[in-house]
Amino acid sequence: MIRLNDIEVRFGDFTALKDINIHVEEGQFYTFLGPSGCGKTTTLRTITGFIEPSKGTVMVKGKDITHVPVERRNIGMVFQNYALFPTMSVYENIAFGLRVKKVNKTDIDRRVKEMAGKVELTEQQLMRKVAELSGGQQQRVAIARALVNNPEIICLDEPLSNLDAKLRVQLREELKEMQAKFGITTVYVTHDQEEALTLSDCIAVFNKGFIEQIGTPNEIYSHSKTEFVCNFIGDINRLEKPIVISLNAQTDRNLDPEKHTYIRLEDIHVNNTSAGQAKFRGKVVGNEYFGLYIKYQLEVEGQILKCIDKNDGRQYLKKDDLVEVSINPDDLMIY
Amino acid sequence: MNLVKVPLLTRMRRMTPGQLLLFCIMAAVFIWFITACMVLPILNLLKTVFIENGKISLSSFQKLSKSPRAMKALKNSFILAPTLSLTVGFVGISLVLITEYFDVKGAAILRLGYMTTLIYGGVTLVSGYKFIYSNNGVLTNFIANIFPHFNKTWFTGYWAVLFVMTFSCTSNHMIFLRNAMRAVDFQTVEAARNMGASQWTILRRVVLPVLLPSLFAVTILTFITGLCAMSAPLLVGGKDFQTINPMIQQFAEMTTTSAKSLAATLSLILGAATMILLAIMTAIERRGHYMSVSKVKTKIVKQKINNPVVNILVHFYAYALFVIYVIPVILIVLFSFSDSAHIQQRQLDFSTFSLKNYGELLSKTTAYKPFLVSIIYSALAAVIVGLLVVLACRYIQKSKGTFSATALEYSLMIPWLLPSTMIALSLMLAFNQPRWYMFNKPLIATLQLLLIGYVIVKLPFTMRMTKAAFFSLDNALEDAAKNLGASEVYTFRRVIFPVLLPTVMAVAALNFNGLLTDYDMSVFLHHPANPTLGVKIKSLTEEMGNSSDGVALTFVYAVLMMIISAIVLYLVYGRGGKDNIKE
Repeated sequence: MIRLNDIEVRFGDFTALKDINIHVEEGQFYTFLGPSGCGKTTTLRTITGFIEPSKGTVMVKGKDITHVPVERRNIGMVFQNYALFPTMSVYENIAFGLRVKKVNKTDIDRRVKEMAGKVELTEQQLMRKVAELSGGQQQRVAIARALVNNPEIICLDEPLSNLDAKLRVQLREELKEMQAKFGITTVYVTHDQEEALTLSDCIAVFNKGFIEQIGTPNEIYSHSKTEFVCNFIGDINRLEKPIVISLNAQTDRNLDPEKHTYIRLEDIHVNNTSAGQAKFRGKVVGNEYFGLYIKYQLEVEGQILKCIDKNDGRQYLKKDDLVEVSINPDDLMIY
Repeated sequence: MNLVKVPLLTRMRRMTPGQLLLFCIMAAVFIWFITACMVLPILNLLKTVFIENGKISLSSFQKLSKSPRAMKALKNSFILAPTLSLTVGFVGISLVLITEYFDVKGAAILRLGYMTTLIYGGVTLVSGYKFIYSNNGVLTNFIANIFPHFNKTWFTGYWAVLFVMTFSCTSNHMIFLRNAMRAVDFQTVEAARNMGASQWTILRRVVLPVLLPSLFAVTILTFITGLCAMSAPLLVGGKDFQTINPMIQQFAEMTTTSAKSLAATLSLILGAATMILLAIMTAIERRGHYMSVSKVKTKIVKQKINNPVVNILVHFYAYALFVIYVIPVILIVLFSFSDSAHIQQRQLDFSTFSLKNYGELLSKTTAYKPFLVSIIYSALAAVIVGLLVVLACRYIQKSKGTFSATALEYSLMIPWLLPSTMIALSLMLAFNQPRWYMFNKPLIATLQLLLIGYVIVKLPFTMRMTKAAFFSLDNALEDAAKNLGASEVYTFRRVIFPVLLPTVMAVAALNFNGLLTDYDMSVFLHHPANPTLGVKIKSLTEEMGNSSDGVALTFVYAVLMMIISAIVLYLVYGRGGKDNIKE
């Protein structure tokens, strides 16, 4: 559906994007993930046409649209702050694109109302000014405004970043449902790894204008290809030399202690004799209660390791408790 | 988000033929207006000062130094400006402290009284003060009745000018300094108190430093107002206290070349002084304002004055100031209903009150014409300047950082550096003969000249406000419209302009308000058969001793002006409207 081939974007002397190659399949929920300033929004704006690349091509359904002006691309966009026109009503906002295309009034009315129904906006809400709506309703208006023009693709630029935590989770779920309902190819930009992992079919992790890894959420999380991805996604422990040496001694592995060795929090097992091949003596130095799980800080071989334990009522460890820690070398990520 | 700079030629190549034609017409209009109406007249003024018989010469400065009247006017202006800065500073700071910082009883009423200068200023205010304080004035008579040896001619010369201007120039304090006071984070006051600081120490070490940048700025603005004083010295300065601007006017009205050259030289000195002061102000502004660093800023809580004696003195001072501010307004309103005989005798008799004076304004051509002329000129100028600046700002926004955008922006800000007298004089000297760039038509004594002057003088303020509105616009709105398929013109018409409209309207209303009683520019450029309100009020005020009908008419004008100004200010700054004006 979308192909970015060797895209490079420069702003004066600054190279914002280099060698970007992406293939988004039809109907896919594709996420660009990365820290601020990594180039994810620039890539999105290159697809929508707000930025013209210095090099490379943007193809949609096999057609080169690199130099097609933004207003002729038929790619819907939902902006970070929704960019709803404050002087217009909800109805006028949704109808804007149709009016530009000179669609007749009856059709505009029908399509606006149909779309409003699909995103669960009532007729009364259609007549309101956008400022009178809640954050969630505003998001639905922005989506309706983008979708009413029947775009081939919809791009969303961090649409949940300005919302509070609870609403973010709620709208994330709504967004996923809506994408499934419309089946539209979606390109989503976020710096929130949890959002990316829960929503996406495919994720491209950006760093300093390059793509570090492209893969499914599971590939990105469990088989991070680069140290950056491994550090950026989820919480992680970097094992220091004494633990790595001890791991080699306890197992038949020959891990290089000079390399950077990482393990996810959930892959460290506490007082679970059946799990893991290498065992260590540890001491609890801190605990944080999260309800569903408990996060522990353990002192192992002179290093502090973080781990999480499901809160199933089986054990609740206190500070200074002595524990047995198990690690499976297969869970390690080495760079 | 980085905005990609698109070169002008590339943008022009992308335009449709219609858009290109429109762009070329607008570019031609701007280039012509800036060159013909601003740059060339100023160059002509410089030529009048520095070129004599085709050679560079400083003889106009020598002539100026030999003119005792001109030198005295210069000296007077440079005496008035610093003393005015001190007196206005003192009164202005106390107004802000009384209404915003100290717990003074009746602060809301006091604030209304102190803010009367916002709706009542310039030549109208001087005229009102003259009616009250001059020889045979209402208050002068009242005091003379109590103290028979009181000098009834006290209200003339330097002290009278200083008195009038002190109480008429506190508007900037009531707007800018008051806003700065409201920006003080009360938690800093509480923190200082918590550490044992006294009320005086908190005021001196915590509150005043926050106000300092605004205080510097308003002091410089007051200094410039003092230098450029016009109506106060003209009406109450008497023979002994004339300042630069009235002198420029007098020289400009003379027909000789040397008098015109003296006027130009004086205006150049005034312009140079203004530029230096504005440069200082800009440097202070660049140092920035103190920003609150608290995560949760707290609104200031009024401070009780602990010392009972000081508390009584502050209350007495606050109400004395209130009386000074309010008495002229009340008396003008009351006398506007009075008949000629009672106005002549400066006596109020409620039984004689009627709407006759107002009726005369509507029925006599000579009475309503200046009012109508001013309304038409002010409205036209406000619309034209608003339109020009919106188009200019749009271009500047789209071409930010390019040479053409920077040149356009700086050109439209030129009048900010120049006193309005200098602009008026430059237009007068430039267009008293046919000029090719004005299609070979002399503009002196035409209706257009004053309109051009009004537009020019309001460009910088409009530019500052409108540009701020443009640049505070969310870029995503425009991107969203484009993404939905809208062209640049459609986006501007349907999305950008409606968002800007409240600001554009507010600025237009303020411009309209500011021009309505203008005197400084009108006196140079008005059409002889169509005097503006400012010019009319000034001539009526000069006749105050002779014609009571004229005085009554002045009062009617003043009351109507106050009503119009109050409505305009309410619409701009009142309920929810204050968000329209951001700088």
